[in-house]
Amino acid sequence: MRNAYLTYAAKRLVQAVVVILLAYVFTFVVVSILPGDPITNVLRNPQNGFTETEIEEIIAAQGLDKPVLVQLSTSLSNFLTGDLGLSMRTNRPVTTLIAEVLPSTLVLASAGLAVALVLALVIAYGTRFLPKRFGQGLLRDFPSLFLSVPNFVIGLVLIHAFGFQLGLFRVIQPDSFWATFFAAIALGIPISAQIAEVLIANLDHESEQEYAAVARSRGIGQMRLFAKHLLKPSSLPVVTVIALTIGELLGGSLITETVFGRNGIGSLVQRSVTTQDLPVLQAVVSLAAVVFVLVNLIADLVYPLLDPRVKLLGAPERRPAAADESSVNVSKVVTS
Amino acid sequence: MAPQDRLTPIPFNIETRATEPQRQASLLRIAGLSVSYGAQQVVTDVGFELARGRSLALIGESGSGKSTIARAVLRLLAGGGRATGRIEFDGQDVLGLSERRFRILRGRDLGFVPQDPGNSLNPVRTIGVQAMEAAALVDEPSKAVRKALVLETFAQVGLDNPERVYDSYPHQLSGGMLQRVLIGLAVLPRPKLLVADEPTSALDVTIQKRILDLLSRLQEELNISLLLITHDLAIAAERAGSLVVLKDGVVQEAGSTASVFASPASAYARKLHADVPALNPDRYAALRDPGFRLLDTSAQATPKIEVNSITKTFAVDGRVLTAVNDVSFTVPAGTTHALVGESGSGKTTTIRLLLGLDQPDKGKISVAGEQLTGRSHDSLRAVWRHLQVVYQNPFTSLDPTWKVEQLVREPLDRFRIGTARERSERVREALANVGLGEHLLSRKPAALSGGQRQRVAIARSLVLKPDVLVLDEPTSALDVSVQADIVEVLLSLQARLGLTYVFVSHDLALVRQLAHTVSVMQRGRIVEHGTVADIFDNPKAPYTVSLLDSIPSGLASGIQAPRMRPQRLFKEEKIA
Repeated sequence: MRNAYLTYAAKRLVQAVVVILLAYVFTFVVVSILPGDPITNVLRNPQNGFTETEIEEIIAAQGLDKPVLVQLSTSLSNFLTGDLGLSMRTNRPVTTLIAEVLPSTLVLASAGLAVALVLALVIAYGTRFLPKRFGQGLLRDFPSLFLSVPNFVIGLVLIHAFGFQLGLFRVIQPDSFWATFFAAIALGIPISAQIAEVLIANLDHESEQEYAAVARSRGIGQMRLFAKHLLKPSSLPVVTVIALTIGELLGGSLITETVFGRNGIGSLVQRSVTTQDLPVLQAVVSLAAVVFVLVNLIADLVYPLLDPRVKLLGAPERRPAAADESSVNVSKVVTS
Repeated sequence: MAPQDRLTPIPFNIETRATEPQRQASLLRIAGLSVSYGAQQVVTDVGFELARGRSLALIGESGSGKSTIARAVLRLLAGGGRATGRIEFDGQDVLGLSERRFRILRGRDLGFVPQDPGNSLNPVRTIGVQAMEAAALVDEPSKAVRKALVLETFAQVGLDNPERVYDSYPHQLSGGMLQRVLIGLAVLPRPKLLVADEPTSALDVTIQKRILDLLSRLQEELNISLLLITHDLAIAAERAGSLVVLKDGVVQEAGSTASVFASPASAYARKLHADVPALNPDRYAALRDPGFRLLDTSAQATPKIEVNSITKTFAVDGRVLTAVNDVSFTVPAGTTHALVGESGSGKTTTIRLLLGLDQPDKGKISVAGEQLTGRSHDSLRAVWRHLQVVYQNPFTSLDPTWKVEQLVREPLDRFRIGTARERSERVREALANVGLGEHLLSRKPAALSGGQRQRVAIARSLVLKPDVLVLDEPTSALDVSVQADIVEVLLSLQARLGLTYVFVSHDLALVRQLAHTVSVMQRGRIVEHGTVADIFDNPKAPYTVSLLDSIPSGLASGIQAPRMRPQRLFKEEKIA
């Protein structure tokens, strides 16, 4: 069993690496066939005031005079060694630029995810246990409401209410605790909607299963039924949904960072796009691919640990723990 | 000695309720019980009583409300179900109690054994975790002692290696084992009443018998009252002291099992009785006789189907499993050959080989003199015209978006037979053959009853005018009375059109009613074969004997079947 899991994990890991490399090559190709020549646009832009010799130096340093395939292979091998090149705009290493802003974004994204999970759980719990007179039915409409409000609107409302009116945080200090807290709420609300939607549907489905009735026939109360029986099988698909919403989390933090004035990956991307700073863009897109692949890898690795029924890819089928005394399980496998 | 035979007295230090001096009153008393889902009333004014330590069976077909009553007693009605009337359990008004007060009764005093063991345990938690929930109902502070109690209960219900069962997840055990676990968990807190909702309908016959034996023994030794819900009259006759017969949520008849069987008063009970194969082995004698005559005279002629020592193996986990091992049988034209065995015996693989869906590793199959083995798919198509199949479950084997006419005509379209007008005539003819009217042509399966659906499925196989029909458990998804209709249709078709049937079933009583020759399969081999009379009256293989023993039969308790009502042939189905 243990070995089977390790084989499975190793296979998944290899697949993840391959996907990341492909994603890198893909972004490289897309960036290089984009219309507009970065050399003309950025370097020869009179506003930047580079001299012709400086331009020659930069071109040589970045290897922009080489054939595209050679550029790709240098770029790829640099990527593999963790060297993401120099920013065209600032001439500083891209890794440094990203390292400066990444923590802020990571804090925001994980806080946003945490908010989304808590909110989803609260909504799901409420749809089952909130007394009808306190709006149990209304709660079921929350997810679609959350989904239909764009998160910058939520952000602006939160800034207005808690920043300006209540004075809980100062807008010019975007990295303070409360500012981060409300930014996370703005980011988390639309994502919580998707998770809650899946969770509610699954809880409904699981609570209609025969095992739920049988568990209740053992004198199990509603609370325990929810916590010990329904929640785990209902959260299995949530793992997949979380993995899928990571893209949204990244995109959402871009907007949220702008609204709350945070200096994160979002603002870096924004600056780099306007200045066509290709090495930075290439690095950020690759980073997004890496995050996406990693999160899905984690989801794949966690899933079999949560659900004992999942058959591991490439692992031999498990035998029944004990053989039935009266029927031939072995041939059942064959004929059913 | 089989492990389930050593049922020792229970050494638990909880008081045995049997000794309480309350034997006089009924344990469960139901009066004027009605249950409705929204505007639809599914149970109407039902009443009965069950005394302590006694057993009562609620019988009826699907939709009769029997399971609903069971769930109303446990207050586990699915969402929206409303029960009115009075359910009195042990002197307490079940419907009137608050959820908090009633929850104390669940498990402790009221045990529940569900229908489908495969779906009745949480799939992502171990059996041990769920067993400890039942053990928590016993007043025992030590966790270790409670676990020991669980393991002991597992051993009592005949599970080998209780420790391993404890650590397993539900999907790692077979249905029979899971049902033992569930029964164990239900009786562990020593309830006063056990509600068993079709406890064996998802299981093989021999396992069914063991599970029922287990229930009866536990009931007797622990003095538990048993409320048994079943569609199987034979099981009710064998296992219950009294019966309540339900139809459409209304009690048709109630009384002691002996009296209901000896002189059923209601028309419905009489019909139900006549439709149970186990109680009426000779019901279709007249329809079946032509086949027996053919069997006698065809000894020299070439048989319609000849299966000659076929073997089929599969590789699973790198191990070779022999699903069908050296199987041979012949079927003379116009007769029915039954393949009998439990799940995993190789019946399904055998018919897949017979239909040419798989090729055997060794051996030969010929149908109507044509060799089936080693042929290309294209040349097999010609054989398939004469070799059709009727599947088990008409609720899933018909495309729900198609109309009856399309469904029945499809084989003609596929084989490009006749003009459009001829095709439509043949569709009508096939429908008439199975006793369905033309008004059904534009219906979709959802607008048909189970019996009508299976008739459509039969018409679909008949439309090509085949010589051979392979019937894969054609009635196992249907209610007894519907089953009786389908059997009648099949037998009269055979008598009129001279069809040859290969009938696959685990239901021996049904086989006895309609087959001419029988092969008993076990673990891929034929352990015994012969005529129906040979197999049923004079079984030789020990496995056949054990299968025959497992047929529940009211006859065992000395109850004789009443005289049969007249045969109805080609009865036009009423439009629901």
